[in-house]
Amino acid sequence: MPCNTELPSSPEELTNQDSARWKELLNDSTKWHSIPLLNHTPLHKLRDQGLVRFRGMVQDMMDPEIYLERYEVKSADGSTRLQPGKYRDCLRLGKDEQLDYQAESNVHGERRTLFVVSVPGLNDWAKEHEKLCNPQTENPTSQQTGVGNGIKRSLDEQEDMEVDKADESSGISSPKRQCVAVEPKAETTASSSAVLGTDYLLNSPLPDRPSMACMIKVYEDFDKYTLNSLMDFVGFLSVDPALDASTLDVEAMRDVESLSELQAQNPSPFLIPRLHAFGVKSLCHANPLLDQSLQQPAIPELGLTQQSLETVHKDLRMLLKLCLFEDELAAEYLLCHLISTVYSRSEMQSIGKFALNICNLPKECMQQYTTKLYEVLELLLPASHYLPMTLDTMNTAAFAPKKDYETNKLVSGLLQLAPHTHLLLDETRMQQGKLEANGVHAIQHLANLINNQQLKCDFQYYQIDYNVDIPVLVLSEGRSMLPSDFVLPINADGKAVELYEESLKAALHYLQPARLQQFRNYLTMSRITQFSVSEEHTEMIQQHFVDMRKANVKSNADDLHGLLVLSRLLGIARGNGALDKETWHLATEFESKRRQRLQALPKSSVPMRN
Amino acid sequence: MARRDYVQDRESIKTFLAEFCKCDDDGKKEFVYGSQLVKLAHREQVLITIDLDDLAEFNESLAEAVVENCRRYVSIFSDVIAELLPSYKQQEVHAKDALDVYIEHRLMMDARTRNPMEQRDERNAFPTELMKRFEVGFKPLSTEKAHSIREVKAQQIGKLVTVRGIVTRCTEVKPMMVVATYTCDRCGAETYQPVNSLSFIPVQECPSDDCRVNKAGGRLYLQTRGSKFVKFQELKMQEHSDQVPVGHIPRSMTVLCRGEVTRMAQPGDHVLISGVFLPMVRTGFAQMIQGLLSETFLQAHRIICINKNDDISDKECELTPAELEELAQDDFYERLATSLAPEIYGHLDVKKALLLLLVGGVDKRPDGMKIRGNINICLMGDPGVAKSQLLGYISRLAIRSQYTTGRGSSGVGLTAAVMKDPLTGEMTLEGGALVLADQGVCCIDEFDKMADVDRTAIHEVMEQQTISIAKAGIMTTLNARVSILAAANPAFGRYNPRRTVEQNIQLPAALLSRFDLLWLIQDKPDRDNDLRLAKHITYVHSHSKQPPTRVKALDMNLMRRYINLCKRKHPTIPDELTDYIVGAYVELRREARNQKDMTFTSARNLLGILRLSTALARLRLSDRVEKDDVAEALRLLEMSKDSLNQIHEHQKGHVPNTSDRIFAIVRELAGSGKAVKIADIMDRCTTKGFKPDQVDKCIDDYEELNVWQVNMGRTKITFM
Repeated sequence: MPCNTELPSSPEELTNQDSARWKELLNDSTKWHSIPLLNHTPLHKLRDQGLVRFRGMVQDMMDPEIYLERYEVKSADGSTRLQPGKYRDCLRLGKDEQLDYQAESNVHGERRTLFVVSVPGLNDWAKEHEKLCNPQTENPTSQQTGVGNGIKRSLDEQEDMEVDKADESSGISSPKRQCVAVEPKAETTASSSAVLGTDYLLNSPLPDRPSMACMIKVYEDFDKYTLNSLMDFVGFLSVDPALDASTLDVEAMRDVESLSELQAQNPSPFLIPRLHAFGVKSLCHANPLLDQSLQQPAIPELGLTQQSLETVHKDLRMLLKLCLFEDELAAEYLLCHLISTVYSRSEMQSIGKFALNICNLPKECMQQYTTKLYEVLELLLPASHYLPMTLDTMNTAAFAPKKDYETNKLVSGLLQLAPHTHLLLDETRMQQGKLEANGVHAIQHLANLINNQQLKCDFQYYQIDYNVDIPVLVLSEGRSMLPSDFVLPINADGKAVELYEESLKAALHYLQPARLQQFRNYLTMSRITQFSVSEEHTEMIQQHFVDMRKANVKSNADDLHGLLVLSRLLGIARGNGALDKETWHLATEFESKRRQRLQALPKSSVPMRN
Repeated sequence: MARRDYVQDRESIKTFLAEFCKCDDDGKKEFVYGSQLVKLAHREQVLITIDLDDLAEFNESLAEAVVENCRRYVSIFSDVIAELLPSYKQQEVHAKDALDVYIEHRLMMDARTRNPMEQRDERNAFPTELMKRFEVGFKPLSTEKAHSIREVKAQQIGKLVTVRGIVTRCTEVKPMMVVATYTCDRCGAETYQPVNSLSFIPVQECPSDDCRVNKAGGRLYLQTRGSKFVKFQELKMQEHSDQVPVGHIPRSMTVLCRGEVTRMAQPGDHVLISGVFLPMVRTGFAQMIQGLLSETFLQAHRIICINKNDDISDKECELTPAELEELAQDDFYERLATSLAPEIYGHLDVKKALLLLLVGGVDKRPDGMKIRGNINICLMGDPGVAKSQLLGYISRLAIRSQYTTGRGSSGVGLTAAVMKDPLTGEMTLEGGALVLADQGVCCIDEFDKMADVDRTAIHEVMEQQTISIAKAGIMTTLNARVSILAAANPAFGRYNPRRTVEQNIQLPAALLSRFDLLWLIQDKPDRDNDLRLAKHITYVHSHSKQPPTRVKALDMNLMRRYINLCKRKHPTIPDELTDYIVGAYVELRREARNQKDMTFTSARNLLGILRLSTALARLRLSDRVEKDDVAEALRLLEMSKDSLNQIHEHQKGHVPNTSDRIFAIVRELAGSGKAVKIADIMDRCTTKGFKPDQVDKCIDDYEELNVWQVNMGRTKITFM
């Protein structure tokens, strides 16, 4: 057996030897890093059946496939040979060779197809960084396989042109563009028969920020893949043009009933490449800066010591304060919101969520303020999405995923986002008017997301709840019509309101690359930090609650939940691993301040809940 | 495994079909399959279903073999039946369709012209498929459990499996060719071609001797009339939501139906399908791209719609004996109640009432009058007393439910208006969907905030159980058999005990009386309770799970299944209980007149008692309402009234303790007489919400005070 220090170059090489050894090899991070990222490498630079990586979110899971793991091939002269079929889409037959379906030595295996899209809402800086981590590929022209050469060549040319253009204009989203660039090609080859649009096939959760899609075939641990989880897959690329069902002649298909399904399940591999995975890592966050599975370019180590952590925390708070009309309290709450995560779920509750509603925004600057604030947040967070809640969006956009039985696909919706993708809802964009059925459902989905951190997927005959972890920030003029865990009326400083444009500009200026990196790392690190509450403090909290109830009958369990979450996040933000008295007092103080502000709000003419 | 001896199997199948019989009630032997064979022979029946239970009784290993290798046994069975059929013919059969006539003619012609010595081409002989005018299906063993689609794996290929799911798509029923018949344009000879797969290549050259010898090159033409077709339908089924593991997508499966099993199900039907799991041979593009792949499908033998046929219970949903045993403990009523929203402490009686709402009473239809069985409950209380949580939990637990808030819903329609408050800039939603879940629970939060117009719709729903819609000049009435669970906030911020219920929540009495139970939930700061709650919450936060409780909360799924089981019962009220119920009702009315009650008592209460007691009987899985059920129903009613009235007592300054109150009841019961039976006291007191031990304590207390004497047998007390 040859000593495999190199990664397998073809599926056959992999199946010929003990797979455990290959797995071991993948544990070596330099090996893992050396594999090109499909997300950031144009297809023409990759070799069919070569090893590639793809990072993304599991968007849909298809029915299992039964395939020939090993099959017997008969050649014309009567001799037979065995051919492994694992990690392959197509049969490998030489000239005059035939597959013997009846052969005793055929072995059937089971595999699953996952529909994976690149992380929806991944912000530009994160994409850039991921791209930097992508190893440079050697020139593949010499290795190109014979399959579909002609088609590829023409595709290459077209793509090259597109890449150039993209680089000229912005250079940021070029991988996406290439993906889109294939579109006209796919359609021309498909002539008139293409029934399904490219957008439909790509199935991006956020239609205006299209993701790249890839169909990943997995061969083991089927139960470990769950919907909406982030994964990094390593496997063999498969872009055989024969896999394309869109080129089919509709007339020739007698079985028209399932034609659209067939086309949806077998899109052009140039649009949606196939990847036969043999190595998988799940990612606990989307921040590429802190990702072990990415090869970090040489940058000075940004280890956060206790001390530097404190300064980072202070700086970040100051920055947020600057962006929030000099409101100290709002900065604290927003910071907590940015590092919040659902850390536990019990039957009815998802604990740790921190849906924040910042209301009472000064009327005079509402027009641009929300988008400008988002610009800052976008720079800090690896993945986020800004959603203006206009009547039109609510009435027309797809929010929750819906199963399309015609094509057997789970058609994605705006809310199908990876864990920790921040959603900024801008309610200041809402006008008076009529919500149609879709809009009412959209509000219901949003409310369900905020209250339970669950997403209801519509399977027509029933709905299934999927757990998600999407922190929601609602910006509104008055109190939001959506529920939230914390409603915080902003106390805008009159002067700051006048100067808000300058302050936001200053904020952007302040965010120099090195500082940004610190902030980004700080936010992600804080989010995944563990936090504990000692026995002693638990008793203190319990006593506090009893007293609180005595003082104010209206206080209830939700208030305690809120206090616990707030104190935890305040503690984490300050770099503490456990709750201490000061933090608890800080939390209670903040909460009472917040309540006072709520009291001071003008009473609505219609009585409100909460 | 040794290969089965198919020849021997054939023989045993023959005996099985001919001789298998069951004894009916009169002890007469009934040849189950023999009689069916007669019908088949007379073309009165098409499908013969072999019950594998019967086969297992006859020959167990054979039944197992059928399950393992189903497709082969289908053909063996059908061959055997074809062989047997002529002997079962008792009369001349009239031709039913063109094919019958065709076959008859061919047979006659064949008999006339055939030279026994002549060798005939295989294809020119009549294929057996053409002659068979029946179908064979298997009914799986009753011990076979229904699988979910994800449990069916490659190992099951070729086996008979039963799958549960929901039909998502079905094609039109189309004819599928089973035997293609051709005639030659030269020699006129007929050629047959049996078709086994989904597609076939037509034969072109005439294989008959004439053409072959003469090299005439006769061309064959397909004869539609002479060919045999079967009905064919392709279904897609998908897993139920409860079969999908958390975070996964439901799986689907293709089902092919032929002949008599077509048109059995429509999209949306919940079905149990038994069939053979087989790989599919596709041609054309599918084969090209899927050279490596084999698609699989289920060849249906039997399709049962679960929602149409409630009697055929699904094995999966049945409670296992272990689960039943766990449920059947003494305190199961309490346990079930505490398992409702376990994170909310206390309020046991409210939870009991909600449990009864989920189970529901029995609908009655005496002579055109319709008396609803659904129980409606209204929870009132100050803001923040977990009303919404209770509602939320119920709407999650109930299989069909709808959760709305009064503010966001209107009777009919699916649109809502966004309004902007000019003062605060708040955006609010007006009107919206109140889609009532027929046969379910409708939870309405903030019931008091509901617009009057919509409330009128609720009136109708609550008593008539229908909803009327007038749209575009068409008036329709839809069934809305729902239980309403409403939550309302007091009109003045807090519940004012000095006012009546109507005044407090500003709802008309007509609507309030439609609720079987009105409950005021109070949230008084109470050190112990608060501390317990705080402990619970801090535990959940630091340990990421529910704290272990003394009484383990039942799993939601188990509760659902149990409630489902309860709903199948239809208990009746025995005659001897009528007097008791009437007596209790009269007593209620009398009390309502005498006392200055803030609630009201009407004939609706009587119906309410009946509903609650039937629900209680259902909960015990009993077919009869017992006296205890009625007593408990009365107790709940009393407690709900108490929850509304109790504040008064606090304000009157003196709170009579339980014993005093029981004493008052006894006094009243005794009237002018001196002796009272203890059994009567017990009855009366339990209906008022007292527990037997409290009554006992009262009796002992007053005996000590020498107010009365208890006799030796402790059956009677006498006033001194």
